[in-house]
Amino acid sequence: MIIPRTIRRFKERREFKDSPYAHLFETYKGDEVVSLDCETTSLDVKKGEILSIGAVRIRGRRVITSERLDIKLKPPASLTGDSIKIHKIRASDLADGIEIDDALEQVLEFVGNRPILGYYVNYDIKMLDKYIRAKYGFSLPNKAIELSHVYHDIIKWKSVGGDVDLRFDTISKKLDIPIIQRHTALGDAITVALMYVRLKFGAPLAD
Amino acid sequence: MSESFNMDNLPFSLLSAKEQALLNNNLDIAYFQKGETIIAAGEVPEGVFIVLKGKVGESDGSEALDKDAAAASVFVHYQDEDYFGGWSVLNGKAIHNFIAVEETICHVLPTRILMDLIHSNPLFADYFQQNLTAKREIVAQHSQNQDMAEFMLARIEDGTIREPLIVLEGTSIFEATRMMREMKADCVLAKKGNRYGMITGTDLLDAVIIKGLSLESDVSDIASYRLISTTPQDYLFNALIMMTQQQIERVVVMDGQELVGIVELTDVLSHFSSHSHVIGLRVERAETIEDLREASKGLTDLIKALISTGVKIRFTMELLAAMNGRILAKLFELVIPRDLKPHVCLIVMGSEGRGEQIMKTDQDNGLIFREGLEWPEMAAVMSKFSETLISFGFPPCPGNIMVSNPEWVNSTGGWANKLTKWSQKFDGESVMKLAIAVDGKPVAGNAALFKVARNAFLRTLRSNEIFFSHFAKASLNFDTPLTFFGNLKDKGMLDIKKGGIFPIVHGIRTMALEHRILETNTFKRIEALVEMDQMRKKHGENIAEALSLFVQIRLKHQIQRVEESKDGIDPTPNAIDLQRLNKLERDLLRDALRIVKDFKKHLASRYHIGS
Repeated sequence: MIIPRTIRRFKERREFKDSPYAHLFETYKGDEVVSLDCETTSLDVKKGEILSIGAVRIRGRRVITSERLDIKLKPPASLTGDSIKIHKIRASDLADGIEIDDALEQVLEFVGNRPILGYYVNYDIKMLDKYIRAKYGFSLPNKAIELSHVYHDIIKWKSVGGDVDLRFDTISKKLDIPIIQRHTALGDAITVALMYVRLKFGAPLAD
Repeated sequence: MSESFNMDNLPFSLLSAKEQALLNNNLDIAYFQKGETIIAAGEVPEGVFIVLKGKVGESDGSEALDKDAAAASVFVHYQDEDYFGGWSVLNGKAIHNFIAVEETICHVLPTRILMDLIHSNPLFADYFQQNLTAKREIVAQHSQNQDMAEFMLARIEDGTIREPLIVLEGTSIFEATRMMREMKADCVLAKKGNRYGMITGTDLLDAVIIKGLSLESDVSDIASYRLISTTPQDYLFNALIMMTQQQIERVVVMDGQELVGIVELTDVLSHFSSHSHVIGLRVERAETIEDLREASKGLTDLIKALISTGVKIRFTMELLAAMNGRILAKLFELVIPRDLKPHVCLIVMGSEGRGEQIMKTDQDNGLIFREGLEWPEMAAVMSKFSETLISFGFPPCPGNIMVSNPEWVNSTGGWANKLTKWSQKFDGESVMKLAIAVDGKPVAGNAALFKVARNAFLRTLRSNEIFFSHFAKASLNFDTPLTFFGNLKDKGMLDIKKGGIFPIVHGIRTMALEHRILETNTFKRIEALVEMDQMRKKHGENIAEALSLFVQIRLKHQIQRVEESKDGIDPTPNAIDLQRLNKLERDLLRDALRIVKDFKKHLASRYHIGS
């Protein structure tokens, strides 16, 4: 059964009022955003398993890379040829990975009730939710900020009548942001964070 | 952040893996809009900033409030992995404004972590602080004296520290004078209680002759106790400044409370040339090829020493050319039978002829002999000469321009004809051969033979406009890549020979040939052209400055590559790796390439070369 996210959040907020996770459901009042990215074995949420999670906080116009999350997980069974070609993560790269349960604790701790920023962020959130729901019984209540939407809202005025190219590389090129390290969770999280800061605080985009 | 922060750059590459991890874990990334102030003069900066993308200008703090004025007075730009703010951090307060010239993303290394790294890694600290000293020095002097920073790197302990002659309080003037004479010292330190006072020869003379003191007087009474002192770690350069400022000729070296010795002005001045003198003597005294080989081995060390102590590059080249010339002359003397010497002349050509080689470069030499000379063993002796030079570590010439090749062994008439023939053909090979040959210079044997041949050739060249137009054209063959700084991140490589050195050397060579300038050295050719009013003084100076910068930067890269390679061979001697340039070098290089570009334009119009 598909329940709209807002309703579900409202419901779960009440359910977990007295749990140690109550603070996650509070409305965020600060000025921080967490940029988050997961590398997974498949783009299908049902089949996919998480390989690594990277996240950084954004405070104002700073990307606080000194406060970051860089988690490698134990290699899952579904880690096979196809996805390895994209993210270049092999089982041997995850030899010192941690258990998913530990990883989730760290993610919840790091993210708190801050908004989560990402590129196609719903995918990452759904992916995490799959595990979080299984373990804790709730889904991530955080506000989600979709980078490509932020970008689209700004760029669309300049391309009336045409489609906006929302590919990652195109956005980074348009914004003139260096791609830190494509297809590592932390690298992508930092790149997205920089793009976000650029969009939020930078000068209007050139044509 | 290892994902975006490049640890390969100095000084961060000096850090251990553990320290790099510490650095990594504490870096943040900051975003600045165009025109935004990153550090304001008078403020306490939060740390050192390393540019990830964009451009930052440093300008004088005096115009702190007026942004436009500040922009106009920017004296250093930082970009692409340059770092800034280090001086401000160490100083506790910024003295300049740092303003984003364009949108900028920087890594921020917090002061606290920087201090930790400086404390845990002395090399890093050294580099960090030294670079700043050097930078300030260079900013003050700007492009006039780029060698300054390197010169400053020589320390007191690298030079001659003289052991002091110490006498106790109560020693008579007579006794002190006698001891000074015995110890060949020209000053003496008198110990009075815990203090030392200095007495120089002049002081003794003054005391006895002018003041009329008796020879039995206590020297400690005439000593000067206001001693100027330095430490073994201080720069030799600073000692020189002290001596100049205080108008003294000696400073005392103290290591903490301990007296180490005395540094004298003459020692400081001769510090850089002492080695060459020794090698020169050994070359002169060599009586066998073996002796000479041993002596020539010292040359490589000499070059390294000169370079590491930062002697001006032009001086190093001149000295080296002189030394190489002496070795060649000596070998020639040892190999050629005495009775044949008046009839042959050994010439060196190419960079050797110009006196512009640094590392031992390829042999480019030839022989000119008297018309009609009968000497059946000539080929055998010349082969031996070339082989011996190879065994001395002078690599054979890839173009085979050596006396062992009969093409480069000619009679006076034959040589003049050969040059004339090359000057009439306009194919690339003839132009290159002629270019190498006109840089020829006699080093041994009968120099008159060389002059006869050269003058005969020059007569055939008189006002031949077509020749000069074709000859000059070669200097425009290669592009001078100014745009190349635009794509620093592409790990760009610049062929400095094609882009900078060759256009200057060849252009100047053409002009010198046109005006019958007999000098072969490019710098001297420039001076001669200026003197003849064929070039404006300012242009000449700029071109000379550009050339010496190219040579210096190239040399630095060569040395680094040789040290990094396992076999000690540098496969790309002319490549300048942009990643290894610091911002100052980059700035200077950019200016110098601009000068080359202008010079090429000038050549094109002067010699009517269409593009």
